Order: sequence, then structure tokens, then C-alpha cells
Amino acid sequence: MLSSARSATSLALRAKPSSCLIPYRSIAAISSPSSKPAAAISQYDVNTPRPVSVTGKEKREVPLPSQEGKKGFTEYALTTLDQITNWARQGSLWPMTFGLACCAIEMMHLSTPRYDQDRLGIIFRASPRQSDVMIVAGTLTNKMAPALRQVYDQMPEPRWVISMGSCANGGGYYHYSYSVTRGCDRIVPVDIYVPGCPPTSEALMYGIFQLQKKMRLTKITRMWYRK
Amino acid sequence: MSTLSRTLRNLRKTGIKDALHQMQHQGDTKWGTLIGQDRFGNKYFENLQDELPLRTRWVDYKEYMFEPSQIEPGWHAWISYSVDKPPTQDPLLQTGVRPWELKEHRPNLTMSRAAYKPYNTVKPKLSAWNPVAAARQ
Repeated sequence: MLSSARSATSLALRAKPSSCLIPYRSIAAISSPSSKPAAAISQYDVNTPRPVSVTGKEKREVPLPSQEGKKGFTEYALTTLDQITNWARQGSLWPMTFGLACCAIEMMHLSTPRYDQDRLGIIFRASPRQSDVMIVAGTLTNKMAPALRQVYDQMPEPRWVISMGSCANGGGYYHYSYSVTRGCDRIVPVDIYVPGCPPTSEALMYGIFQLQKKMRLTKITRMWYRK
Repeated sequence: MSTLSRTLRNLRKTGIKDALHQMQHQGDTKWGTLIGQDRFGNKYFENLQDELPLRTRWVDYKEYMFEPSQIEPGWHAWISYSVDKPPTQDPLLQTGVRPWELKEHRPNLTMSRAAYKPYNTVKPKLSAWNPVAAARQ
């Protein structure tokens, strides 16, 4: 697991300056999350009735990408490469601030000394060309939607989107308004949804930790190698 | 690890084993009183004298892959400075006394197999049909 995120997660509740430590840590310390092997998922017997999900459909168990094991030397080497890449990605998360409404106030609180996003390597950028993640904070109106999409298109890969607050998640209070987009996921692909109206700064920070977790589970070179 | 002297001081106080554990898991050496342990196994510490404000309470997670949602609600209130007393001493924060309570604390299971998946509980608004083409005369 990557040290920056580890420190970040622990910092959520007890505010500890450990980001300075990251260079001292070894690559082994930033090892990837423990993954269950795919064989651990039990194979069902043919004769016994298959378990049924809540919706009445037959349950089909497929290993998650994070649960697949590593095979061969190449995959181990690529895993290490992925760890380094993911570590670098998590350590400096530059958000494009798309503050649209009151959620932006909470997003600003995240950058103030109490929550201090700088210790996580998060610096707000005003330019989409220099940012990795877009935090859509607030009500997205129909008039603003093309601008949002344009800004998203201007961001370089890899890019992520955090949808913050009920309005960005699904319209929220303004769901039935004539002029409001019912969720910013109609415009851009969203990685993390932060619920709340508005979400607290802690909630947004927790969303950022979830995004870092998602980055940790990303197999960049391994997927490329598989192809 | 703010300063070298502080690190070495805390290393001397906690001992080499705990200090190495802390460096691996938290990235800092801290010394404090063990306030308690929740049902999951996370350990909670406090040091009101030596630490800076808002850094006086901390948790030593049981799991290496830790996450803030692994902290139980009562301990979360304590570690966020909402209450003065830990749940072991506060009668209001006792667990297992309310009928609606979960038997054990459930962390956030997002991005795992047990992640919450929403499903519909009402009658579907749309219904599919099988189009039957009439045979040509």
C-alpha cells in the first residue's frame, strides 16, 4: 500500500505530519493491497441449486480485478511498476476546482489549515491542463454543462472526477428544476460520489482517500501487458 | 516525524519494537497512554501533554490496509474530539445496548465484493413485451 495514502488515511482523524516521511520509505512499504486469490472464490457444485441474489437472479461470482493473483515473473515486475506509478499518482493529486455552489465552501475548508490538504500533496490548480482530478462541487446547470465537459476534455490523462454533494450526484434538491443537469455523471464519467448536502470537509477528504484507494487498485501496465 | 529529536525521544519512550511498528504503519513515532481497544482490535492512544492540539488522540489500526471507517462510532466520536471520555467510560457510548444496533461494526465495503449495490424495490415503470409479427396473408 502506498505510504502517502496510508499516512493520508491515518491523518483523517488525527492530523499528523507524516508526508515528509514518504521519501524515506522503501518500495516494499508501498506494496500493493493484499489481494485474495481468485481460487478463494468457491466454485459451486453443479447439482446444488445456485444461490440467488436479492433480485431473484442467479448469483454469478467473478473475481474482481483486484482479487486476481499474479502469475509469472513479468506480472510481478509489472506489479512493482504499477505500485511506483500509483504511488506517484496518489502523492500529488492536483484537483481542478469546479466550485459551482455551496459545496465549494466545504472544498475550500479542505485547503485551510484544519484539514490541510497540502500535506496530502493536493494543490488546487486553476488550469485543467495541469490537473489530475476534477472536483465537481455544487449544482451543475444545463448552461454550465458544456463548459464542464470542455474542461474535462482539456484535462490530460489520467484523470479522475469526484462528484461532490447531492446536486452533482443526481440533481439533489434541484432535481426537478428545468435548468439543472440531473447529476454530473450525465456529462462526465465520475469515479467517486461524495454524498451530503453539502458534504463536510471530512467527507470530501474521505472521498479523496477512496479515490486514492481506487488508484491503488488500478493495474496500469498489467492491463497493458495482458492486451 | 517532525524533528529528529522528537522521533528519538518517542523511540526511547515506546521501545524499539513499537517504534518500528509505528514507523511502518503510521510513519511517525508517538508515545501515549493506551486508552482502550475496540471490538475490532484497533488501539487508541492519548497524550495530552506532549502532542500538539488535534494530534493528541490517535489510533493504531489493527489492519495494515487501514481505513477510517474501521473505527467504531463511539471511538470515532472520541478520536474526533466530540466527547471527552472514551466509550469504555462513557455510559452513553456503550455498544450492544440498543436494539437497532448492528452486532458488530461494519466498515465501508466499497470497492470490495461486499459493496452495496442498489436495487429496485418497486414495480418497474416499464415493461418489456415480445413483439409478435402477424403472418403474411
